Amino acid sequence: MLCAGCGAVQPPDRTADHFRVFGLPRKFDLDMVDLERRYKEMTKVLHPDRFARADGRARRASLERSVQLNLAWSTLSEPVPRAEYLLSLQGIEVGESASSKKSGEVDNRATQPVDTALLIEVMDLREALAEARSRGDRAKVTSLVADVQAHHDKEMAEVAVGFAAAQPDLAAIAARMVAARYYRRFLEDAEADREGDQGTAK
Amino acid sequence: MPVEALFDISEPGEAQAKEVCKGRAVGIDLGTTNSLVAVVQAGQPTCLRDEHGSLLPSVVHYAPDGGVVVGQEARGLAAQAPQDTIASVKRFMGRGPRDAEATRRLTPYQFAPGGDSESVVRFSVLGGQRAVTPVEVSAEILRVLKTRAEVALGGELDGAVITVPAYFDDGQRQATRDAGRLAGLEVMRLLNEPTAAALAYGLDKQAEGTFAVFDLGGGTFDISILKLEGGVFEVKSTGGDSALGGDDFDRALAAHLLRQMGLPEDAAGDRYLTRRVLDAARDAKEALTKLSATEVVIERGPGDIWRGTLTRDELDHVVKPVLDRCEPPARRALRDAGLEAKQLSGVILVGGATRMPIVRRLVASVFGCEPLADIDPDEVVALGAAVQADLLAGNARKDVVLMDVVPLSLGLEMMGGVAEKLIHRNTTVPCGAVQTFTTYADNQTGFDLHVVQGERELVADCRSLARFKLTGIPPMPAGMARLQVTFLVDADGLLSVSAHEQTTGKESSIRVKPSYGLTDDEVERMIRDSFAHAEQDVGERLLVVERVEGDRILQATRAALAASADLLVEGERAAIEAAMGALDEVKAGRDHLAVRAAIQALDAASKDFATRRMNQALAQGLRGQDIGAVESKVGK
Repeated sequence: MLCAGCGAVQPPDRTADHFRVFGLPRKFDLDMVDLERRYKEMTKVLHPDRFARADGRARRASLERSVQLNLAWSTLSEPVPRAEYLLSLQGIEVGESASSKKSGEVDNRATQPVDTALLIEVMDLREALAEARSRGDRAKVTSLVADVQAHHDKEMAEVAVGFAAAQPDLAAIAARMVAARYYRRFLEDAEADREGDQGTAK
Repeated sequence: MPVEALFDISEPGEAQAKEVCKGRAVGIDLGTTNSLVAVVQAGQPTCLRDEHGSLLPSVVHYAPDGGVVVGQEARGLAAQAPQDTIASVKRFMGRGPRDAEATRRLTPYQFAPGGDSESVVRFSVLGGQRAVTPVEVSAEILRVLKTRAEVALGGELDGAVITVPAYFDDGQRQATRDAGRLAGLEVMRLLNEPTAAALAYGLDKQAEGTFAVFDLGGGTFDISILKLEGGVFEVKSTGGDSALGGDDFDRALAAHLLRQMGLPEDAAGDRYLTRRVLDAARDAKEALTKLSATEVVIERGPGDIWRGTLTRDELDHVVKPVLDRCEPPARRALRDAGLEAKQLSGVILVGGATRMPIVRRLVASVFGCEPLADIDPDEVVALGAAVQADLLAGNARKDVVLMDVVPLSLGLEMMGGVAEKLIHRNTTVPCGAVQTFTTYADNQTGFDLHVVQGERELVADCRSLARFKLTGIPPMPAGMARLQVTFLVDADGLLSVSAHEQTTGKESSIRVKPSYGLTDDEVERMIRDSFAHAEQDVGERLLVVERVEGDRILQATRAALAASADLLVEGERAAIEAAMGALDEVKAGRDHLAVRAAIQALDAASKDFATRRMNQALAQGLRGQDIGAVESKVGK
């Protein structure tokens, strides 16, 4: 990270992917304890606080390296963005912006077709949630949330299995990621509603 | 470490590391109610003191003769000149004149008229002769602390770390940095207050684990969740309310007192009464930290004294609706950190308001653990800032690092007035994001970029940070242009935005200057003006201080002469009165040294008399009289 000769921080390698930032191979199954240790050690060396008194070039390099490091960490430290990132490195977009293209935003990446059966399933789940909520049936809301969480976790477990294969079936993994995203949205909305309820109850 | 090998090695001899400065760097807590300066000496952070202690009341008085008084003396002048004495200026930092939150509350201030919706709020002082911005007012406080530090350390400062509430938005941060520059400080870093507190605890108490920092100051509320491990201070999440603090308790209590006095809640616009009631409310609140009831005495009008009693139960009842606003941000911060309360190792209390029993009860109920308050909650932030300043100056251990976060999401306005977030809240800084946008209309030759901060979906509900334009794009069909926008947040939490049209290479970039802020030109001009007036200002300031002191001594001496004429010896009254006359005379002049000399002369002339009075008071005390009553009689 630092020049062996003079100790100066070097600017980032802009071509490095998030795995290479940590000196790791591209794979889904990372050792999280090792990753966090690497992240913290590198932060101690590269953080702008270390270069508060250095020249402009070193301050700039430290800032850029830290930005790159933080982005790599936030992408790889959680399974969902890590899986999305691995797929995107193969030209497959399943991330948040892939299907919900915001107006004005450029999007020319290949997007995943969404399985109709999944859409119907999620719509039914949402209806059931709305109904349970309007009835004030908290037990039903809780059990729905638990069911969807289990669906989500199962899809993500399958994603991990898929990536572990010798020849990963990327299309199949992408389909599971899309399904997991729909479940996640359901859970987020259920949580937001719950907070809304608490807010108005006060 | 193996990863090191992966990065480029520079050619030998290039860019030698700069010589490390062993500088005098201080930490400054620029607080709503009080401000402090601290420094690391012999490895220990210490708050620097003056004769009143370490706390400098964050109060600035603009005197009729153009002088400026800061601190304890200024607080003393608030009752007689409420419009010209600015307290709690922090609440106005980075805010606009139409910011209802900042200006439409029970307040003794007068605001300068005019100013469109996107300019900075200005206090009108001295009957409208002068308008000062919150940045200028804050700079006055910082100058006093800078001088205090330079005197204590025996030389100029090389740099300072100034703390800000974690929940301060970009505009409020920029304003704080500008105030530092205006005061002639090299601002090395803006440090979040809860992080500073954690740093002080982590290093002093060798605390390890995951902690919540509950920081309820005079005007701001912050909650941060931090993981402390192996020298790494990692902020997991932060939340709060940059307009909620002990001041709001005072205001709620003042409104309650006004109701009891049979007066309207806005004190019918009487600024003097407003100041007196706010002060009485603050005193009562502080007294009720230890007592269960206290007497309140307020001068309702000339010769009209109102007396009442306030109990702690009443106080709790009055402040509860305000305090309840702390709970949702605290719970959200826990959830954002992915934690439950029982996983915390402890809760660190910061800010004077956390002394209140009702606040401690709330903390215990939300976090389910006993709060830590071993380090003085008033000093802990300044102590942490001093530690950070020492780290930045390169004087301290190399294995400590702070990893802080963006408190509020940063984004751009999209068509239809929706906010598109580029950087989400609780992202570790420094951080960046790049996104590409395109044109909507055929032959569109420019982009209007509107940078916003906040969690809401609609731009109208977010804080507007800046607007800028990228022009000169050649006419193209809609959707052909490629506008790449880059957001970069540095370690101070300050945002810069750049935009770049990829088909033409047209560039535009700004350091985001907030809509409700000062332009760089304005700050530069203020700095130049302050240099030009620096010497004069110092003289003016000292003159005001000496005049206030002179008045105080004259008043006390007059009272003593009236009360204890029997203690005077032959010729003593004449000598004292002559010294009083001399002081009165030079006080009208402009020479602060002459005033000081006259004060000393009066001190000398009345010294023996004062000693006799003291002895008499003590003797009376020994005979069973209440010394407190005697002291109040002698007009101390």
